[in-house]
Amino acid sequence: MLKIKDLRVAVEGKEILKGINLEVKPGEVHAIMGPNGSGKSTLAKVLAGREEYEVTGGSIEYKGDDLLELEVDERAREGIFLAFQYPVEIPGVTTASFLKHTLNSVRKARGEEELDAFEMLKLLKEKTKLVEMDKKLLNRSLNDGFSGGEKKRNEVLQMAVLNPTLAVLDETDSGLDIDALRIVSEGVNRLKSEDNAFIVITHYQRLLNHIVPDYVHVLFDGQLVKSGDKTLAYKLEEKGYDWIKEEIAAV
Amino acid sequence: MNTAVQDKFAAIKANYKQLFDQLEDRLNGYKDHPLHQLRRQAIDQLATLNFPGRKNEDWKYTPVTRMLQPSYKTGTAISVSDELLQAQSFEDLDVHLLVFSNGQLDETRSQIGELPEGVILSSIATALEGPQADKANKVLEQWAKSTDAFAALNMAFADKGVFAYIPANVRMNKPVYMLHVNDGNEAPFFSHPQRIIVAERGSESHFIERYVSPEDSVYFTNALTHIELGANGKLDHYKIQQESVQAFQVNQVDVLQERDSTYSSYAVDLGGRMVRNNLRTHLQSSGTMTNFYGVYLAKGEQHLDNQTFIDHAFPHCDSNELYKGVIDDKARGVFNGKVIVRQDAQKTNAFQQNSSLVLSQKAVMDTKPQLEIYADDVKCSHGATIGQLDEESIFYLRSRGLNKEQARSLLQQAFLKEVVENMKIDSIRTVVEKLISEKFDS
Repeated sequence: MLKIKDLRVAVEGKEILKGINLEVKPGEVHAIMGPNGSGKSTLAKVLAGREEYEVTGGSIEYKGDDLLELEVDERAREGIFLAFQYPVEIPGVTTASFLKHTLNSVRKARGEEELDAFEMLKLLKEKTKLVEMDKKLLNRSLNDGFSGGEKKRNEVLQMAVLNPTLAVLDETDSGLDIDALRIVSEGVNRLKSEDNAFIVITHYQRLLNHIVPDYVHVLFDGQLVKSGDKTLAYKLEEKGYDWIKEEIAAV
Repeated sequence: MNTAVQDKFAAIKANYKQLFDQLEDRLNGYKDHPLHQLRRQAIDQLATLNFPGRKNEDWKYTPVTRMLQPSYKTGTAISVSDELLQAQSFEDLDVHLLVFSNGQLDETRSQIGELPEGVILSSIATALEGPQADKANKVLEQWAKSTDAFAALNMAFADKGVFAYIPANVRMNKPVYMLHVNDGNEAPFFSHPQRIIVAERGSESHFIERYVSPEDSVYFTNALTHIELGANGKLDHYKIQQESVQAFQVNQVDVLQERDSTYSSYAVDLGGRMVRNNLRTHLQSSGTMTNFYGVYLAKGEQHLDNQTFIDHAFPHCDSNELYKGVIDDKARGVFNGKVIVRQDAQKTNAFQQNSSLVLSQKAVMDTKPQLEIYADDVKCSHGATIGQLDEESIFYLRSRGLNKEQARSLLQQAFLKEVVENMKIDSIRTVVEKLISEKFDS
């Protein structure tokens, strides 16, 4: 589904990603962990298509095509979804009307029928239940004045509505209490299938107790320096990142 | 330099005088009508006045020479089609409809319908022969000797103005809808709508003025409105301006508010090559509430100028002003909001905000909030912001599948929503939202 080869990315002339290699197949969950400033969010934004990030080398292949050729919204319509670390507040646009706009624009691009108001309402009701979100939030402006937990739940709600093929969760767990973490994770787990894949970017191992990864990768100074199964996450939680630094230094 | 400008106005005024004399010659027996006496007074008054030049602080950004330059004739009526009327109606909203084409009242197209008891809705000429003649006459006399050149010009050429009288404690359920259809394809024309609205104490009413143009043509609308709102009365005033993008408009509204009355203005400016609004309220007593809401959307080479004035002369009065707009391409927006809180006006609450999005390098917005406070126990605030669309917000919306244009359009509409959502009549708000979204998508 996704093949990242020797990806190099610079922001304002400074190289942040220094040759990333990663392959994600349908049905897989990949966790990417790493210390602050290692390039985790940059990777997430590059996958979503943020224009300020300059790809200076390498390639990203998605469903057999060159992902870097696609605009942000084209990627979304092709099934890529980024759950933001800091979801943006948009006063004046209700969550419900926003979801209606986006879902219908995605459906239209996929050659599916647009949903009418009644079908949309039904879908939104079903999906808000999935993320245990108060329906009242649907009629409030998007993320405007939402608590941190409500914003993250809203991200998962949007993901549930858009039903992506490849979802990238950028530190969705940061700032969440235990309950919110459980709800968000359960939402993700229910969306998991044989046909889609998840890249879960996190700073902490605790999220991975809920969303169990098939692979764990360590991102350090712009490179994936170590990969393993979920036990790698336990080791990172226990020992921190210093031992990895030492390993790299030893090479 | 200064003499050159004055000469230009002198030539323009001479043209107006000539046009006036031609019109007068065609009047025959109507010359002695009291309304015409006032017109003559006004054209003489105009000769003594100057149109405001660039040195006038209030007109600094809006060059009136451009508006006055075309050689205007008086407008001749055009036929207003059923389709056009239908397209300009508000869904599920019964109205008292007055239709004007090129400034002329179209009596066959107007549908005043049944009015509540005691309500007068007629031409000003008719009103001068009716029970409220004194009230109408007083306002006309003020206009005829006005020191404002646009007001004098309006009075000199005014024809079928609107007079509305709402007796005490009468609630008008249906809005009065004044629809102006303008098309200057034949030759540039000017029209001078006049409205005198006297709403007595405890009355409630809604007025909608709307300007539409089937074709992009050159003409000049010079409108004048006088509103007297009695004690404890309520009046909602909507303006939807969709003039041709080659047209000019000067629109002046003066509101006199008596004790405990509430006046709300909702102004939506979408069209016009150059538009100047002067909205002024003159508080006559305490306990009043004044709401000024405005939306402006300028593209291409449009120039939209809003000047507002609230004179707090009495204690315990509230005013609330919110103007928001989007300026794109090479367009220009101007906002000048003046609020005076006089020494006696203790316990005044005055709030003013003007926010604009400026979307292109060549677009310009000039904003000037002017708050003059002479009382000490008041709550007043004002703010002005000029910004661009937030890139992070655009990225967020696009990452959900909206294309660049959809994302921008959604954010711009959201930006204006804070103003539009104050419109209390649903079907008007729906029309305004649709017009805004059409303008963004065009």
